[in-house]
Amino acid sequence: MTELGHRVQGVDHVAFPTFDPAATVRFYRDVLGFPVVHSICAAGWGPEDHPDFIHFFFDIGNDDRIAFFYYFGAGRDIGGEPGVKGDVYARFGADVPEFFVRSRHLAIHVDDEEDLLEYRRRLDASDWPVEMQIQHETIESIYTHDPNGYMFEITRAMRPVTPQEDLDANLTIDALIDVVSEPEPTFGKLLARKAELIVERAADWELAQETGR
Amino acid sequence: MTTLYILDVPENTPVAKVAAEDPSVTVGRTGPYFEISAAGAIVVDRRATGCRHAVWYSAVGGVARDSRITQHDKDALRVEPT
Repeated sequence: MTELGHRVQGVDHVAFPTFDPAATVRFYRDVLGFPVVHSICAAGWGPEDHPDFIHFFFDIGNDDRIAFFYYFGAGRDIGGEPGVKGDVYARFGADVPEFFVRSRHLAIHVDDEEDLLEYRRRLDASDWPVEMQIQHETIESIYTHDPNGYMFEITRAMRPVTPQEDLDANLTIDALIDVVSEPEPTFGKLLARKAELIVERAADWELAQETGR
Repeated sequence: MTTLYILDVPENTPVAKVAAEDPSVTVGRTGPYFEISAAGAIVVDRRATGCRHAVWYSAVGGVARDSRITQHDKDALRVEPT
């Protein structure tokens, strides 16, 4: 669908604040076994009143990393009022629906069921046991919340993604862009627009797949 | 006329198979999609498909403009002419 060269190489790091570095290290390094691979000890400087901080990184496989900031002297209140829901960074009231609170999360990939269950064992033996194990459409995931309240997912593919799923994803996105450009987008309107795109493009796509072989 | 499209992936195959058991329903293909059509309503019983909920509620790929979903719950998927 795109002519732009795809040069990126996955996640370098994703970073979150923590007010409990000891528990964070226990969770990621001691429970999960993610090695500490990098850290920065920095005195606060710059135009803002920046606290001294430690920026520390755990290897999440594939040379990708999850990183945390610990700010000396900073209490949880620097992020605003405590939330009834959410985590130390994103605080939400009791009235915010759970699906929305959970929508932003990090999922770490494992190769197979054996590896998924190994991480389940490690978590279940810790202070952060698995809260849910769910088979979704084509992936199976375990979930818990880390010591900072961040939702933490480990997932495995139950089968490889097929080429037609890439077509389907692109038709969905094109249909979505069309329906959100009109007033009152609905799921029904999306399925109707997608049916039109299927009729327009799916047969040609399949033919191109066959002749490409 | 009622037409819905279901992507042909292993999880969705039972949906097309169960739909095809109704003699008034035709299951053809448009590219990698099952094209399921009938003169009247198309009804698929979820339990007959054996689909778990995550699969069941994401199985529909498209619904033609002359058709609409009137039921999609834990019991059945029903698509009817508009």
